[in-house]
Amino acid sequence: MRVCISACICNRLRYPSYNKRHVSRQGWIRVKPSERSQFGSAGEAEPAGLSEYPETGGPPLLRLVNIRKSFPGVHALRDASLDIHAGEVHVILGQNGAGKSSLIKVLCGAYVADGGDIEFAGRKVTIRGPADASALGVAVIFQEFSLAPYLDIAQNIFLGRERDFTRIGLVDKSAMRRAASEVLRQLGLNYDPATFAADLGVAQQQMVEIGKALSQNARILVMDEPTAAISEREADRLFEVIDRLKRQGVAIVYISHRMKEVQALGDRITVMRDGAVVDGFRRGQASAEEMVRAMVGRSLDQLSRREPHPAGAVVLAARHLRTSKLADVSLEVRAGEVVGLAGLVGSGRTEVVRAIFGADPLIAGELELDGVPLAARPDRSSRKGVALLPEDRKREGLALALAVRDNATAASMWRLFRRGWFSPGAAEKVCADLIERLKIATPGSAQLVRNLSGGNQQKIVLGKWLAAGSRLFMLDEPTRGVDVAAKTEIYRLIDELVREGAAVLVISSELPELLHLCDRAYVMRDYRIVGHLDRDNLSEKAILDLAVHHV
Amino acid sequence: MSDQTLPRIPAAASRYLSRIPGVAFILLAMVVAFQVGNPRFLSTVNLANVGLQASLLMMLALPMTLVILTSGLDLSVGALIGLAAVIIGSLLLAGWSTFTALAAAAGSGIVVGLLNGFMISYLRLPAFVVTLGTMGLCEGLALALTNGEPIGGFTPAVEAFYRSAVFGVPTPVLGAAAFYGILSLVLYRTRFGIYIVAIGGNKDAVHLAGIRADLVHLAVYVVCSVSVAFSAVLLLGRANSAHPTVAIGMEFEAIAAVVLGGTSFEKGQGGLFGTVLGVLAITVLRNGLNLLSVDPSLQVVCVGLLLIAALLIDRNRKRVVTRIAE
Repeated sequence: MRVCISACICNRLRYPSYNKRHVSRQGWIRVKPSERSQFGSAGEAEPAGLSEYPETGGPPLLRLVNIRKSFPGVHALRDASLDIHAGEVHVILGQNGAGKSSLIKVLCGAYVADGGDIEFAGRKVTIRGPADASALGVAVIFQEFSLAPYLDIAQNIFLGRERDFTRIGLVDKSAMRRAASEVLRQLGLNYDPATFAADLGVAQQQMVEIGKALSQNARILVMDEPTAAISEREADRLFEVIDRLKRQGVAIVYISHRMKEVQALGDRITVMRDGAVVDGFRRGQASAEEMVRAMVGRSLDQLSRREPHPAGAVVLAARHLRTSKLADVSLEVRAGEVVGLAGLVGSGRTEVVRAIFGADPLIAGELELDGVPLAARPDRSSRKGVALLPEDRKREGLALALAVRDNATAASMWRLFRRGWFSPGAAEKVCADLIERLKIATPGSAQLVRNLSGGNQQKIVLGKWLAAGSRLFMLDEPTRGVDVAAKTEIYRLIDELVREGAAVLVISSELPELLHLCDRAYVMRDYRIVGHLDRDNLSEKAILDLAVHHV
Repeated sequence: MSDQTLPRIPAAASRYLSRIPGVAFILLAMVVAFQVGNPRFLSTVNLANVGLQASLLMMLALPMTLVILTSGLDLSVGALIGLAAVIIGSLLLAGWSTFTALAAAAGSGIVVGLLNGFMISYLRLPAFVVTLGTMGLCEGLALALTNGEPIGGFTPAVEAFYRSAVFGVPTPVLGAAAFYGILSLVLYRTRFGIYIVAIGGNKDAVHLAGIRADLVHLAVYVVCSVSVAFSAVLLLGRANSAHPTVAIGMEFEAIAAVVLGGTSFEKGQGGLFGTVLGVLAITVLRNGLNLLSVDPSLQVVCVGLLLIAALLIDRNRKRVVTRIAE
């Protein structure tokens, strides 16, 4: 009886009814169910895919060839190609903004490519929406999960496919749970399928997402930085599951920038930069250093070094800072200095500036500003002259729906009261000064910030702190997403700031930018500072040597 | 366990323990306290009375639970039940059949539900504002239909129905119990029910699963409004008259009952059983305080305190249960 039930469920899993519906309604999917069947199904213990697509070599299951995609003003993808093979882990490596996410979105149907070809098992196909992608067996595990917290695991896995378990209008919960257990068992998990998703940890939710994808017949599983929010042990568990899926013939596309994982997992590694694929390696072909070099680029000599100014007194001294993530960080910034905070994405750079500003609570450590102890609280530090340009300026740095004037005066509002009353005239004057000084391109101080370009928005964030009379500027990726002209302008402003005696701490993932701007730099890895480079020792190689973990 | 390194999944026992809303303990304590304070509290007559009082609130709070599970809100139920009562009352007075009167009331429920659901689900307007609007709409219509006067003097059949009993259990109580049974089946055993919880948790995911989430979302408001319109019969029976604004404010009591029962405004957390407890707690509190001849205005204060107490219990118990589970 039991065998019979599970066999019957397997059949259902093989051709989920919603797939069939989409195929028939949208006839332009070129792959027929009969062709898909050769890749086996998640319902089988040992799918047939293995023999047809051995682990290496053989034709790719899915190919993206010369994909292009642009948005007004941005080339998200210039020329990206990707071969995905069954039973292989294909790692896509790249910095933020390199085009990894855009490529994935083309693959899963969230974007439609402007140009280029997609081939599935040697045949040209088109992906014009999520339904096409899932008909091809592409499933994406995003960082934001799609589980409903108060449905149980079984209901989440089979969401939208309850028909398979419905008898006379009622859902047979126990049959659904048995089927869910079966799906989870294939991942080597024995969760109770009656558990609410809300009661699961992040890593467990991720596993349920994977199970959900597989039960929908996914043959190509895309994981977007899956270890970003889970612990190391949980990550090991994930790698076991990935290994198991590989052996079952599932193709895995794995996005990451953690070198350790990339080297441990990747059968093929594709490196992206500026919307294009710049390099590709097979397992063991390249060292971590080579890969990072490909990832960050070699444009070392594009920018000359900034002329240094004589450094003054210590403005910021941070000693032994500890937060829930940071482990013992100490650093110093002097007046007239630009100090870099280098390291790979996720090495803890943003956490340092957030801790100093007081945005994340300090567990231990001391802060001094101009020799006076500083309370790490945003309301205090902003009045004492600490400025933070957050990484995500649209979310944390600006109120997009408000006018230029309101944003520009947001950090200095307390200075704009005359005899206890807010003075619009004073605000107008402050704003007009900033527009002139920073050359902000806006029709007027009443323009809404959301209508301005990225570069001008960034200038407003900077201007907000200038108006507040800040002495210490912490700039987290100050030129991300701004055009070249605005970039040069921001460099000029930073230079002007230090010439006037301000202290600047700058985070950047672009090595040339750091080398151009900084008088010296701290290098971070795994949430601690692992090295300090003064002006004479500051070089691309020195930073990479410290930033990349050599195992 | 193959995954000992992962955070522990709560065992079944503690999972069920954590699903009992805090109001259950308060309800138990209140029953004991009122019985001590007045031995007539647990008498058959008084219990039937509590049941009758609870059944009307139940008819509003149960469908309200479905709405709140979708992370929504329906403020129009109080005004709508008044409107439906007026419609039924006037039609009966004008000599129409009971069936026609009920059909007309159901029609008003469908219209209001479609209006709410369409604006909230398809136009993505905030539920609070939309249902505040339809609340005014219903109230105004009810007043216009009656010139603001209560209407009464229709067939004794309505009141007789309200006062009738089967094996000593009042018919309205049986009706509410049956309604609870049906809604439970719908919520926990049908696709519609699963989608309601899923929409409250993550509407986009429901879309992506190939489900017409907007339609399901709209249907929840229609179900709520129609069942509210039908329960106008209880309102009519209770007073044997229809007053256009008598039920205004009941929406807040219904929402309070749902929240008392542990249903959250986010993520689809909660359920119908909790709402039953919430309704009983409010009714028992009112009834008990009446028996102890407490000033009615003080009673309102007590309902407020009850709500706050239940929220505090729920909040802290989660911590306690987790500690036990660990």
